[in-house]
Amino acid sequence: MMPAEYYLVLSAAVFCIGLFGILTRENALIFLMSVELMLNAANINLVAFSAQYGNLTGQVFSLFTMGLAAAEVAIGIGIILVLYRNFSDVNVTDATTMRW
Amino acid sequence: MTQLALQMTQSSWTALAPTLLLGLSALALLLVDSISPEESDSTLLAGVAGLGSLAAAVTTMVFLFGGRGLPTEQGGQGIVSLFGDQIVVDQMSLFFTFIVASVVTLVVVASSDYLRDHRYKAEYYTLVLLASTGMSLLASANSLAIAFISLELASLPSFALVAFLKSNKGSVEAGLKYFLIGALSSAVFAYGISLVYAATGALQFDAVATAIGEGVQTGVLGIGILMIVGGVAYKTASSPFHFWAPEAYEGAPAPISAFLSSASKAAGFVLAFRVFLTAFPVDVAGAAIDWVLVFQVLAIVTMFVGNFAAATQEKVKRMLAYSSIGHAGYVLIGLAALTGGVDQSQVLGAGMAHLLVYGFMNTGAFLFVALAEYWGVGRTFEDYNGLATQAPLACAAMTVFLFSLAGLPIGGGFFSKFTLLMATVNSGTWLLGAALIINSALSLFYYTRVVKAMWIEDPADGLELDDYPVGLYTAVVAAGVVTFLLLPGFDVVIGFAESAASLV
Repeated sequence: MMPAEYYLVLSAAVFCIGLFGILTRENALIFLMSVELMLNAANINLVAFSAQYGNLTGQVFSLFTMGLAAAEVAIGIGIILVLYRNFSDVNVTDATTMRW
Repeated sequence: MTQLALQMTQSSWTALAPTLLLGLSALALLLVDSISPEESDSTLLAGVAGLGSLAAAVTTMVFLFGGRGLPTEQGGQGIVSLFGDQIVVDQMSLFFTFIVASVVTLVVVASSDYLRDHRYKAEYYTLVLLASTGMSLLASANSLAIAFISLELASLPSFALVAFLKSNKGSVEAGLKYFLIGALSSAVFAYGISLVYAATGALQFDAVATAIGEGVQTGVLGIGILMIVGGVAYKTASSPFHFWAPEAYEGAPAPISAFLSSASKAAGFVLAFRVFLTAFPVDVAGAAIDWVLVFQVLAIVTMFVGNFAAATQEKVKRMLAYSSIGHAGYVLIGLAALTGGVDQSQVLGAGMAHLLVYGFMNTGAFLFVALAEYWGVGRTFEDYNGLATQAPLACAAMTVFLFSLAGLPIGGGFFSKFTLLMATVNSGTWLLGAALIINSALSLFYYTRVVKAMWIEDPADGLELDDYPVGLYTAVVAAGVVTFLLLPGFDVVIGFAESAASLV
């Protein structure tokens, strides 16, 4: 069996790619994809260490995470749709009518 | 024997009654709407939602006074844990469910007027109740898995509710920003949970604490705990994840701002209290990361950021949004003052009591803004000039809210801030106490601006209100009365808060 540390490195890499995407891209749809990457990084950890510890807790929780990720995308797409109707674009930097 | 077992299952199931009531009334609303979708009777829908949430609030009160969630040794009916210790119903969960349910009741009553010209009323009330179900479930969560799921159940409907005014650019923008930061922080939170699982092999709070006590990889665990702090900071609108709050509260329909800034914040804090005291007790998790120190820094930064930004605002709603960030800083004292040797029930209880009082006074203040939006008087301080000549009752209630938020002895906010201050004194965290005093004094300045505008300034020409909405008035006045009554009744609140805090 592969050492569990390798999975930690893999998941950290996937997480960072997702974070990088969120910080640099302006398209709201790419933002959603990046969030999915970050959530899946968590899933990698959960499944890998579930096998490592020999209990099913992590695997079961990763199923919930996937379900919730899908629900989140559904809400997100809805908001992006009204964003497009109001601002005629899905660029997240366009919506700036309020300023602090 | 069988009968006894049956009785036991019944009694343990009924402990979840408040949460179930909230969830079932959400489903009942969908049913009512599907029977007569064309009519969209506002009174019926608001009635179902209001009765459901009121019933939940009353049930938690009955449970609390009946000694539920208190161990039998202390004369209570015992702490109930369900689903293999995944969910626990103790005094703390009942206390926070009460905050959520009473805030939802006020918000629903107020919304019946606010939504008079809008479509999709049934969906609105359903989403509010589903979010509150998630929040009350969060109060009972005893495992990181349940915590994550109920956090999402509380968040996802909130995103939709903030963007509820679909053709209003401000509302959509607020919804987008709330969603972007919410999705990001829930991903960070999930990754934090996965790291804690990687280090300990458990998700249930007590099991996590046991595993940490037996020795784990502190590096992975420390990063995981920090990420969980991030998720909590987002939900409670504390620094450094507070940027969504002013935008979301300003753009959202005002009753939703009230709901998010009071109930959602309380839910975030109960998550923090439970996770950090049960799963990462400072004496065992201290080797990985000293989270008390982290919360001390966060509390001070949050207090100053919230209050100083509030002082520079021109719009009342945005001022209240920043003030709600400041109040998150005050409540964080409940965690930040937990230094070694301090009485946990006193420190944590002070934070909990402040959240309850804050739930009423802050909801009331935002609902007054909803009233002003209903009248269409405008959003800035100047637009509120002379409102008291037209609506003295509502303005008197607003004055009670604002002075109570500032900590003057006109509402429960005086005593709750005082107990927080005492907690910092007793734990020797002088810096926190000083920050609390400085910021309270500063907050009096910007709260008074609203009061001055309402009562002293002359009204603008042609300011005439001819419509006094019953629902909004009821909610504002009820919140005002409760805020005032919490001044003499604070003993009861702090009694339950301290006893609940000592159990965690």
